[in-house]
Amino acid sequence: MNGSRGFFERAFSLASLPSRPEALRGIRVLELATRIFGPATTDYLGEFGAEVIKVELPLTGDLMRYVAPEGFYWQDVSPAFLPQNRNKLHVGIDVRLPEGKELFTRIAQKSDVVVENLRAGTMDRWGIGYRQLREKNPGLVYAANSGFGQWGPYARGRASYDATAQAVSGMSAITGFPGRPPVRVGLWIGDFTGSLCSAIAILAALAARRRTGEGQMIDLAQGEALIRALDWTWMYADISGRDRERSGNRDVTFSPSGIYRCADGFVAISARDDAEQGALAKTLGVSTATPEDVAPFAAPRTCAEIVRIGEEAGFSAAPVQGGRDQYHNPHLRARGTVWELDDPLYGRVDEFGPVPKLSESPGRIKWSAKPVGYHNEEVFGGLLGLSEEEREELEGKKVIGKWADAPGARPPHGEAGGPAGGGEKEGPAR
Amino acid sequence: MRSFEQWAKEATDPEIAAGKPEALPGLRVLELSPGHFGGMVAASVLAEFGAEVIKVEAPGGDPARSYAPEGIAIAGTGLPFLSEARNRKFVTLSLEDEEGARIFRRLAAASDVVVETEGPARMDSLGLGYQALSRENPALIYLTLTTYGSFGPDAGRQVKDSDLLCQALSGVPHVTGDPEENGPGEEFQVPTKTGNWHGWFAEGLWGAFGVLAALMHREATGKGQMVDVAGADAMMKFVDYNITWMHTAGRERRRTGKFDPAVFPYTYIRCRDGHTFIAAYNDEAFESLMHIIGRPELAKDPRFRTGPDRTRIENEKALHAILEEWSGLRTADEILREIEEYTSKKSGHGAAVVTGRVNRPLETLSESNWWDRGCFSRVADPVYGNLLLAAPPWKMSGTPPRIRSVCRPQGADNEEVYATLLGMTGRDLSSLRARGIL
Repeated sequence: MNGSRGFFERAFSLASLPSRPEALRGIRVLELATRIFGPATTDYLGEFGAEVIKVELPLTGDLMRYVAPEGFYWQDVSPAFLPQNRNKLHVGIDVRLPEGKELFTRIAQKSDVVVENLRAGTMDRWGIGYRQLREKNPGLVYAANSGFGQWGPYARGRASYDATAQAVSGMSAITGFPGRPPVRVGLWIGDFTGSLCSAIAILAALAARRRTGEGQMIDLAQGEALIRALDWTWMYADISGRDRERSGNRDVTFSPSGIYRCADGFVAISARDDAEQGALAKTLGVSTATPEDVAPFAAPRTCAEIVRIGEEAGFSAAPVQGGRDQYHNPHLRARGTVWELDDPLYGRVDEFGPVPKLSESPGRIKWSAKPVGYHNEEVFGGLLGLSEEEREELEGKKVIGKWADAPGARPPHGEAGGPAGGGEKEGPAR
Repeated sequence: MRSFEQWAKEATDPEIAAGKPEALPGLRVLELSPGHFGGMVAASVLAEFGAEVIKVEAPGGDPARSYAPEGIAIAGTGLPFLSEARNRKFVTLSLEDEEGARIFRRLAAASDVVVETEGPARMDSLGLGYQALSRENPALIYLTLTTYGSFGPDAGRQVKDSDLLCQALSGVPHVTGDPEENGPGEEFQVPTKTGNWHGWFAEGLWGAFGVLAALMHREATGKGQMVDVAGADAMMKFVDYNITWMHTAGRERRRTGKFDPAVFPYTYIRCRDGHTFIAAYNDEAFESLMHIIGRPELAKDPRFRTGPDRTRIENEKALHAILEEWSGLRTADEILREIEEYTSKKSGHGAAVVTGRVNRPLETLSESNWWDRGCFSRVADPVYGNLLLAAPPWKMSGTPPRIRSVCRPQGADNEEVYATLLGMTGRDLSSLRARGIL
């Protein structure tokens, strides 16, 4: 036991992490995407060492830059833009212009993966879709993320947001309380679940490519990812002919497991097997515990007390945490789940860290999101080998460019320079 | 040239998946996830992509087989297990027995991946922890799924991982549901969990992601490793910008029910046959929506003129009521048709009026779109009958995932697995069976 504790402390040490290898080193990912479902996909790959080049329209860039909670910008960046745009190289290309398409294609030729989340068929119409790119790069893995897929009755031009997926999938109908309206989950759960599914398929496609050398197209619809996640809902509907009811905060499979009000907030009480059910019943002094028994037990006690009672008795309990609890939680900081980052542009930024902790090739956050076109020189000069004159000409034609002088797009006030050691000389795009 | 849509369908339709190669053939996964749906999800994802998954159950069967909402079970196995037991081989093995544990070590030595949900303390006590197994098989990728993870101050907490614990710690219920208006309110004005096991599902998905990333590293170096996923961390990652907002502004996400702090309308509204989603939050889209509901003058109403005007809570309430006056007289489909008719003539921001019926599960099942897209599969089994499964969500042109089987009874593949992998004879198996090890 102690031996394995020691092993874990060494294997997962955050201090030694920067010198460890990265799992996806050498994989280059090209992103043409906005908001969440697309950017989060590449962010998950970037956490494990893929080089992600994020293409944005010059000046305004990804519209997620302007989704600012209660209008709040920090150092001229929205905190809602940061979490799904770490470790990326930001370039500004107007892919609607012929020379912009050509630049995009040239980067795609040097890439392993393309991720986009435009409306179905848009990239193909622009001449930079999978059909065109695979001619230049047969090994390319191309992920098309969308609301309703690249083909099928709902695919044609139908727009979709996260909540559309929550609605049409059936997820909302089974979330919430009996006799009350269906509940939309209060986060972009369709976007993030879809993003993770897309990243998984990309890794599977890369595994296949090692054998065959061939790339492929992945079509992932976020509503379909949520359908997959609804566990026994479908089999139940099919067999009983009934809709699964909303059951509020009870897990009907493990009754009386659920979320209960306690003296200082809310607590989850969980009993997933006979041993835990028995322990809970014994604690409550009943033969079979019901929600009506648990509620008065929980109400006068603090969450910590209930967790301790559960540990001693043999059932499980945990606090219903919010962001504030998580931010200040030493366990999450020790795991790097709340990641403490020193960013060259913004200084200290705490972010969500990688979820899976790998003992040999751990994920990491190396830098935070950056302004539009922040890495233009590095990518156009370094990767594509364009000379300074060529870059200036493309800038003059507005094919490539940088940030608009506006909150959300630009560097922090008074910080118009480039990355440390970088060659940027100019300020906002003209 | 064919249309892109036509091409994409021909290239990725799950109907033709069976004739194509798989992404992970030859990858052997040993699954030990008693009573744990998240572990099943992780193994299912790998199995859908073609891995050979061997599920190890105690001789009496996995406790998850007895999970049976409303008591519905088929041949002794409940619907949750049946919905996530696809594409596996099923063996039995008692790990309580020393010989059983030894057999598990031999299986692990012959495998590429172990998925376990018992946690390091218990696995070490059985001699089946990562360090022990990796000594015999250094290329092994060892995925462990627990509520708090294998390291960090809370790693030793005595809990049995469940969807509910993962959800509670993730922060998802904290931001879901109706807020209290003045002090403790109605029973439903509380942090609300998702109806499905999304905590477990996210835990399993991240587990599969971690295994695939580790596999990339193994291809490059030959080295295996341990992949540690905390169920609490898994869905936490999906709670938008919670941590960066705390860091930059000292603010956290809270429950806002049908209202939204940043964009409105972006909400569910009542309609004649249930509820539907409606969004039109930029100025041009909002103007479109006001035309659609026959109230164009409201686009210039001082309460609703700009984004910040529309997201003041009293104005959100007023606007929600106005929208329901209109939607209450129409079905969700009529609303969709009216919106599409109007927005098809628009382009750009003005077309961003988005809707979609809040489907009850039977309504989703009644829409041909999902069947055309291959989102559902009926799979027949001689023991469990003809069952409806949610299919893998990925459409892929080269190596598409697929469903090969729905479920088998515990131990159904004992003979095949123990004979081919470990060279056991019929007599070995009878002896193990007689001693209660299989």
